[in-house]
Amino acid sequence: MPSSAKRVHIISRDNGWAVKKEGASRASRIYENKETAIENAKRLQRTGHDVVVHKKDGSIQKWEKSKK
Amino acid sequence: MPWDTNDPSKNVFVNCPFDPEYVPLLRPLLFTIIYLGYNPRIASERSDSGEARIHKICELIKQSQISIHDLSRLRSSRKDEFFRLNMPFELGIDIGCRMGGENEVPQRKCLILAKERYSYKRALSDLSGSDIKAHNNEPEEIVREVRNWFVENENVHADSGTKIWESFNEFMAEFYQTRKQEGFKDRDLEIMPIPEFIQFVKDWLSPRGTPVV
Repeated sequence: MPSSAKRVHIISRDNGWAVKKEGASRASRIYENKETAIENAKRLQRTGHDVVVHKKDGSIQKWEKSKK
Repeated sequence: MPWDTNDPSKNVFVNCPFDPEYVPLLRPLLFTIIYLGYNPRIASERSDSGEARIHKICELIKQSQISIHDLSRLRSSRKDEFFRLNMPFELGIDIGCRMGGENEVPQRKCLILAKERYSYKRALSDLSGSDIKAHNNEPEEIVREVRNWFVENENVHADSGTKIWESFNEFMAEFYQTRKQEGFKDRDLEIMPIPEFIQFVKDWLSPRGTPVV
């Protein structure tokens, strides 16, 4: 279920999957594999971030709430 | 004022399919146009059943200095499926206006999109020699191609295609969250009327300031 926490997004890119904190000027890292990107983004759940996983077209695949 | 529909130089007539299969390309296409400070005009923005669709389309073309035609669905995808003729037909009307027909808008410009750069020629060889941009059915690519075309042809100073694409994804999260909180179900979001989606994009971008006005 969505919330008002900070967000980190998993976004499709032509060269893989980007992990990007909302509002940051650029993605923190690009991963070849989407699952690896999600696993790394999940570390930010403990710092108060929801993990928003996007489909290739930008729509929402999964929304995991922060664990802070 | 951004997105002023009374300013033909900021109006973009969008000629593309409006079926569910095209939504993955349509949403980033509309978002990019609005992000750049322009106003997408589509045939479904007025749903007066008494108004002939062709009159509505001609009116929109006349009110728009820019048009975007996506020919990527020219080809039938299944046996016995009809060709999609609306897009090339409306492109023809637009080109007729550009070539001196009844035209209230000077210096019309158009962007033609296709799935692949040269495959359209098999169905529409009259366009040989035209500059066609290919998006390969990739949502990220349509953002980049449309953004680059506006930079080249409208001389706008725009954020990178990557930045606009990332912004679109952040927008989609907000769109999803807000609508869910308002009681919308996934199906409601999938079939949301396009004018409603356009207004939501404008409302989201307004407080952030459009990069080009």
